[in-house]
Parts: sequence; structure tokens; C-alpha cells
Amino acid sequence: MVIAKRTPALIRSFRYQSFCLFLLTFSIALEERRMDLYIIAGLLLVIKVFLIPQLLYRIIKRINANEDLGLFINPQLSLLWALGFTYLSWIFTAYLIVPSNQAQASILAIAFFIVLAGIFLMIFRMTALAQVIGLLVMENGLFLLASTVSGGMPFFVEIAIFFDVFVSVLIMGFFVYRISRLFTHIDVNKLSRLKG
Amino acid sequence: MEIFLILGIPALLSIAALSFGKRKAFGVINSIGYLAVLSAGIFLAKKVIFSGCTYSFFGFIYLDALSAFFIFVISVVSFAASLYSIGYIKRDIRGAIISEEKAKIYYVLFNLFCLSMFFVPAVNNLGMLWVAIEMTTLVSAFLVGFYNTKKSVEAAWKYIIICSVGIIFALLGTILFSYAFSIAGLSKSLNWSDIAPVAHILDKNILKIAFIFILVGYGTKAGLAPMHTWLPDAHSQAVAPISALLSGVLLKTAIYAILRFGIITIKGVGFAYFSHLMILFGIISLVISCCFILVQKDLKRLLAYSSIEHIGIISIGFGLGTPLAIAGSLLHVFNHAVTKSLMFFGAGNIVHAYKKHNMNAIRGVIKALPFTGIMVLAGCFALTGFPPFSIFISELLIIIASFVNGSYLVAASLLLFLAVIFGAFIYHFGRMLFGNLPKGMAVAGEPLSGKLAFLFLFFQICAVGIILVFVKKDLLWITERLFRG
Repeated sequence: MVIAKRTPALIRSFRYQSFCLFLLTFSIALEERRMDLYIIAGLLLVIKVFLIPQLLYRIIKRINANEDLGLFINPQLSLLWALGFTYLSWIFTAYLIVPSNQAQASILAIAFFIVLAGIFLMIFRMTALAQVIGLLVMENGLFLLASTVSGGMPFFVEIAIFFDVFVSVLIMGFFVYRISRLFTHIDVNKLSRLKG
Repeated sequence: MEIFLILGIPALLSIAALSFGKRKAFGVINSIGYLAVLSAGIFLAKKVIFSGCTYSFFGFIYLDALSAFFIFVISVVSFAASLYSIGYIKRDIRGAIISEEKAKIYYVLFNLFCLSMFFVPAVNNLGMLWVAIEMTTLVSAFLVGFYNTKKSVEAAWKYIIICSVGIIFALLGTILFSYAFSIAGLSKSLNWSDIAPVAHILDKNILKIAFIFILVGYGTKAGLAPMHTWLPDAHSQAVAPISALLSGVLLKTAIYAILRFGIITIKGVGFAYFSHLMILFGIISLVISCCFILVQKDLKRLLAYSSIEHIGIISIGFGLGTPLAIAGSLLHVFNHAVTKSLMFFGAGNIVHAYKKHNMNAIRGVIKALPFTGIMVLAGCFALTGFPPFSIFISELLIIIASFVNGSYLVAASLLLFLAVIFGAFIYHFGRMLFGNLPKGMAVAGEPLSGKLAFLFLFFQICAVGIILVFVKKDLLWITERLFRG
């Protein structure tokens, strides 16, 4: 994901990531036979695997954006950063929880890594769409974190968060569209009228 | 009961705006609705302070003194903003800046925005609190980008992205809090009313990290420096009544969220941790806002940086944590809300008359807009902490508290920066308000509803300042109840 150079590739990898998340949730649901987890897994599949990527593809088509993500840092260096993130998240996890539970610790570390990768995407990619995807990636990481460490948030909170994420993507898509119409590009690095 | 009125009226009004929003009378109906909300807010505050906290709606809504206070502040400012909107929107339609269709959208969004803000202090569940705050961002982003110019869309984009990232950190913090509950063997309900009594048994390390994420996350929304970068852009580009709402109450709802988690952290980790963090961020906010206020050229950005300054003062007050300081901070929340709204309304009128934000091009406001000019002059003194206005009292309380507490460094830096900001404000506003009119500037009339909004806010600024001197004891008593939850 951090080495993707073009927007569609980024969206595709987001879709795979969400699908993995769906598989994980679904397997937990099968194991524990809980109705609410089934519903959450279903929502995950519908919203994050189908609706949101579809929406993003449509936005790309509508605005005819240049597919380049505009990298500040090239793929090789990005990979190095990602290695650094992995190390960081392991340290953070070790600080946070008691080391007895290996499986939980590794999932926790992965979750932190995903959050960091999302931040990385938001900072070092220049287009507005990449920022939206970065945000979604961060949210995925948090979902993983929530579902493993605390057995998920309360049910209706989870639903509300799903709804919220979906609405925010809609609204951001709307703004991406507006930016592309007003500025004829979606390079956020060039949005620098307001200063001081 | 009152809470249903408070949440129901904005919801109904937003639906009504969908169908009647184009009518000219809708603005008036809107403000009548908010008058009702305001009176419900007052009743609610009275009830909660004297008879303790209440639940309703299957424990979904939980109100204690702290939330009642914030609801009251929101209802005051939203009433004033609805009054001011009448004249403002009418003028924009007449000037063909926006169409009638857009005015309708404005009223729908205005009501949704207020509704989402009322939700923040009302919900019981800390996860729902997060959802409510995210909703405020999403709705108000449209209001920031309302004029659809390049600048305003850029501001809206920065606003929505920076605040969303911030709020994701807050979600991370919330999840870590719930992790702390689950390893302590508690249920994962995340309901405030379940958590608060047992907060002392939670794991300290996790609470510490979680609170940092909360503070950074909601602090972004509250405009604490150095996470404030969205704030001047959004405040300066939004529609004037919305700037007032953003600065007056939106920032305070984020402060409310920080306080909620802060109370848990205090119970779990001890007071010093919370106190140091809050004071640190408060001082950074003061320093940064002070520098930018000195060199500012744009009127609305000046006011936006002043909001950062006041948020810094509020967070220092909460960080000091003695009853006196907390009383000062809570008062400051209210005082800043009303004063800053008045200033943004004034700035809205000025910008409309001069068609410019640049302070170097604005001269002789008192001659061009006599009423607004006088109000802004008074508001400027009130905002910088001049007696007998209310901000003077609350700042004094915080400074006294810091001396009593022995934090001389904090007190000294507060005094220093307040003095510098005072000078800068008087300089900027003195040049704008007095002096000769630019050529070709006509003296314009001002709409009645705008004047009413000014008078309403001005009354609050003066009255609170004078009344407070006499009721200090009751105030301390109420504050203690507020913070015990």
C-alpha cells in the first residue's frame, strides 16, 4: 500500500485490506456465534469492500484526475519507512500490554502499523484523494484494534461509526469534486492561499 | 423532558427549512425556535444543578451539571446566531451573493449543526460522544465552504481533513480507554455513568497513553496549539454567524470531551499528569496566538487567533484544577462564547460593508456603521479583559488561582501574554474603528435583527460581569458540584 504509485492501485489495496478485515471479523463471529458480529462483518463487506471503493473509482472517473499520486517519497524509501513503522508499533505494543498473550500482541502491533501507514499516506502523498484513502486506512487500523483488544465497541456505537465513516467519505468526495472544479487539479500541496 | 425540546426543535426546524426555507419569514421562525431552546436550556440547567443528574431515553442520554452548563452555553450562542442570521442572509440574497435556494440550504445546515452540537454534551456513551463530534465537523464543513470560492473550499478541505485525522486519534484514545476497562474486568459498555464511579481501578499506563491521544485528538478540534492550523482558515472563511458558532461553542464542545476523559484520567492516574498536560498545551496556545495576533492583517483571522488564545486560557484554568480556577474556566467558557460571537457578528457587518478582510483597508468604522462600531469597541475591551466586562472576572479568577496554587510561572506568563495581546488588539481595532472613511464609502443602515443579537450578547457580557462580583460563594459551590460529576 505504501508503495502504490497510482490512485487505482491504492484503492485496490484498500479494498483487499478491508476484505481481510471482513474475514477476520467473520471468523471471530463464527467462533463465538454472536449475532452482532455477523451484522458488523456484513456491514464491513458492503460498505468498505464494495461501496466506498466503488465511490472512489467513480470520483476518479468523474474528475478525470491525473492518476499519479504525486509521491514526495519514492516507493523504495517508502518501504524503508514502513519497516521503521513496524518496529515502532512493536515497541509501542510491548509497552502497552503484558507480554503473555502473543497472538493479541501481534494483532495489536499490526493495527498500530496500519494506523501509522495511514498517517504516512496522508502526509507524503499530494493528491486530495490519497488523503481520503489515508484516513480510511487509519480507520481500518482502529477497527482492527477495537475488535481485538477490547472485543469490539458496543454494538450501536460500532454501527454509528460505520455510518459516520461512510458519510464522511461522501462529503470528502464532494469536496474533492469541488476542488477539482474550482482549481482544475486535486493537488493539495498547491492549496496555499490561506496563510498566517 | 427539556432535553427532548432542546434536541427536537433543531431537528424539526431543519426539516421545516427543507420545505419552507425559501420563505422570507423563515429566519424569524428559526430564531423563535431557538428562543424556546434557550429557555429549555435554562430550565434544564436549573433542574440539574439543584436536583442532580438525570437519565432519559434508556440511559442513552445522561445529563449532569457539566453537560447542562455546556448545553446552556450552546443554546445562548445559537439563539444569538439565529437572530443575526436573519438580517445577514437577507442582505446576502439582496446583494445576489447567494440565491434563495442556497439560503434554504443554509438554514437546513445551520439547524443540523446546532443539533449535532447539542448532542455532544447530552449523550452518555463515550463512543457516541465521538460520533457526535465527528458529525459537527462534517456538517460545519459545508458551512465553511458555503460561498464556494477558492479560498473557502480550501479552508473547508483543510478543516475536514485536519479535524478528521485529529478525531481519529481521539477514537484511538477512546478504544484504549475501553481496553483499559476490559482488562480491569469491567463491561465494555463505555457508558460514562458506568465508568466514572470505578475509574480508579483502571490500568495507569494505558490511561496515560489513552489520554494523550484524547488530548491530541479532541485538542485538534478545540484549537489547542500546535494542532490549531485549521482554525484561522475555517473561521475566516465561514459565514459570519457560523464563525461565531464555530468559535463560540464548537471549540467548547471539544473541551467538554477532553474534560470528560480528563475526569476519568484524574481518578485513575492522579491529578498532576492531567494538570501538566493541560497547562503545557495552554501555554503553547497562548504563545503561538500572541505571535500571530501581533502581525495579523486579516480581521477575521485576528479573531480566530484570539479564540486560540482564550482556549489556551481555559485549558490552563482546568489544568490548575483548584475550585477557584475551575470556576474561572467554566465562566470563561461562557464569557468567551458570548463575547467572541459579538465580535464575529461585528466583523461580519464590517466585512460586508467594506467588502474586505484586510485591516489596513478598513478605516472609520464608527462613522460608517455607528451601532456596530460602538458594539465592536466595547466587545474589543471586553475580549481583552477590561473591567467591568465578564472576561475580566474569569481571567482574574484564573490568575488568582494560579498565584494561590503557587504556580507563579504560569501566572506570570498569563499576565505577560494577556498584556501583549491587549496592546495588539487596541492597536488593530483603534486603527480600524477611528480615522477617516475611505473614499466613496456610504453610511449604511443595519438590520434590526442584527442589532437585537448585539444587544442580547452585550447584555450578557455586562450583566455577568457585574452580577458575578456579588455571587462568588454560590458560584464556587456550584462549580464543585459541576466537577464532581
